[in-house]
Amino acid sequence: MKSAISKITLIAGMILIGMSSVVSAQTKEFKLDGKTFGMPEAQIYTEDYDGPTVVGEHLTQLPNLAPLNYEGNKHHEVRIDIVVQEIEVAEGVRYQAWTFGGTVPGPVLHVREGDRITFIMKNRSDEEVTITEPSKGGSPFMNQVANNPYQKNKPGIMPMPHSMDFHAGTVAKDDKWRTVGPGETIKFDFIANYPGSYIYHCGTPSVLMHTSMGQHGVVVVSPKEGYKTGYEVDREYVIVQSEYYLTKGAGDLYTYDFEAASNNNPSHVVFNGHQTILHDQPLKANAGERVRFHVSNNGPSGTSSFHVIGGIFDRVWLEGHPFNEMRGMQTVLLGASSSATIDMIVPEEGKYILIDHEFVDAEKGATGTLKAGPRKK
Amino acid sequence: MRSQKNIFALTCVMIFVMVAFMPEIASSQTVRVFVPAGSFHSVLPEVPGEPIQVDSFYLDKTAVTNEEFVSFLEENPEWRRSEIPSIFTNAGYLKQWKSDLDPGYENLGKDRPVTRVSWYAANAFCAARGGRLPTLNEWEYSAQLIDFENEKEANAFSAKLINWYSGIDANNLGAVGSSEIENEYGVEDQFGLIMEWVDDFKPLIAEDLSLDCGTVGRMNTLGSVYSYAASIRYITRMSFNAKITTGMVGFRCAYNTPAPTPESQQGESL
Repeated sequence: MKSAISKITLIAGMILIGMSSVVSAQTKEFKLDGKTFGMPEAQIYTEDYDGPTVVGEHLTQLPNLAPLNYEGNKHHEVRIDIVVQEIEVAEGVRYQAWTFGGTVPGPVLHVREGDRITFIMKNRSDEEVTITEPSKGGSPFMNQVANNPYQKNKPGIMPMPHSMDFHAGTVAKDDKWRTVGPGETIKFDFIANYPGSYIYHCGTPSVLMHTSMGQHGVVVVSPKEGYKTGYEVDREYVIVQSEYYLTKGAGDLYTYDFEAASNNNPSHVVFNGHQTILHDQPLKANAGERVRFHVSNNGPSGTSSFHVIGGIFDRVWLEGHPFNEMRGMQTVLLGASSSATIDMIVPEEGKYILIDHEFVDAEKGATGTLKAGPRKK
Repeated sequence: MRSQKNIFALTCVMIFVMVAFMPEIASSQTVRVFVPAGSFHSVLPEVPGEPIQVDSFYLDKTAVTNEEFVSFLEENPEWRRSEIPSIFTNAGYLKQWKSDLDPGYENLGKDRPVTRVSWYAANAFCAARGGRLPTLNEWEYSAQLIDFENEKEANAFSAKLINWYSGIDANNLGAVGSSEIENEYGVEDQFGLIMEWVDDFKPLIAEDLSLDCGTVGRMNTLGSVYSYAASIRYITRMSFNAKITTGMVGFRCAYNTPAPTPESQQGESL
């Protein structure tokens, strides 16, 4: 009698599963212009994994960039799990963020043009996951966050379906960028075919809501032959600009403000996820050094007119591609999901302010400090 | 004469089949609200000018509570956490409960909606109660039967709803009936508490809808903030599979008939 229920349920379930499974053809790998296309089909499954949210040796916390300590190309195994974290985005402003890896923006992945990435992502939005304690087997990102949890992360729960869209990947979105529900894992491969800095973000609708809630980050793909400059830079930093659309909620926390997001009226526009982080922890350099900024505007909806007060950009590679070289720029205009690699000579000891020269954004937080020491060379 | 015998035999078979498939009727009966027939516009593609017709049905006034789910498990042990086959759920099934039959009411509350149940378990519960999960259209139709003074008020409500979808606090759910949101027939909490399973949460058309940045815009068929909120709900539900359990998804049951009176219930058990 009781098993009868199960039988009916089973049949109904099988029909449902039958409806939802799609058979998609697998493309064979091929090369064109030295680039590799045709990745194996993505897999969606469940796993018992409860380890570090970010795994892989070339993932770091902003503004750091992991060194590429290998020659030629490498096959990276990368995990970035989705977790919910209560984070601080400005003094006194905390909200339950939807994150890749635990911070907003998520970790910076650094690879070389032509590298293959096997990417794994578990949707852990229904689990409380602490990311601020040192972990074994995690990426450098995990230890950097444990040592410097500038968003004061606390675990949270907000189960939602999510997905991953790497702009650094060239694949069919209906396969690789598929949405996974809470408790599910997706695994797929992509090749970093083009050099430059590329955003990644959740592509599950409402995309505006998911990205505003914090689901974005950046992949830096260094060119195979480097940038043809004839010099080495002294320092490299990654800077991500993004907007928050928050309003005071019923309790102490802030919540997503749909009306503000719809009207392009952010409550905060920030560098590296926090309104004052690049003043609280200024970027460092010395007079006479060459600093390389990998700047990405992750939006979701605004533009950035990136400028450094007191500096002129010596060389700029739009989108970070070595062919797109510009010289002597005062400001670089970045659309939503656009980037530039910028080299700047630090003129003298003192303070330089990184700023979105769209002043309405600057006054909402999009500023930071580069603090220069005396000339050492 | 012969045909009468056949009818008698057929009736016997029918009764046997019905009894054999009749699950244990849960002892506690909750309030069923009559939702009259009508029509509504969904955010899924539809034939222009032809709103979706919905027949009358009965719907639980509130979502199924932890306490009600415990009663169900007492009578249907195969749906307990330690017994449920893995084909019917993922690992998260009732994971916040202390044990098979003890949710830990001090944390979860008797009157709070049960969550972290798979679609299969929700289905079985409703069958055991003599009902079924509401269809997608029934649920959405009922949810739209809210009276607003004017469009401005409706839009303000919908904007709040979108914010709510981004911040359901699964760790601190309210008791059923606490959202103070109800439709004009008295169905409560379709918004403001949890999201709910429906029978056909992934309708056939889901496969044809490309879930991407443009989906919300394409679903903006009602030309209102409400359709924006609805599209988030539709998309979220469509992204689930029947084994998924989450801290914000519970359910309520629908019925084709009114709640049995105590007499008729006794009649059934005889």
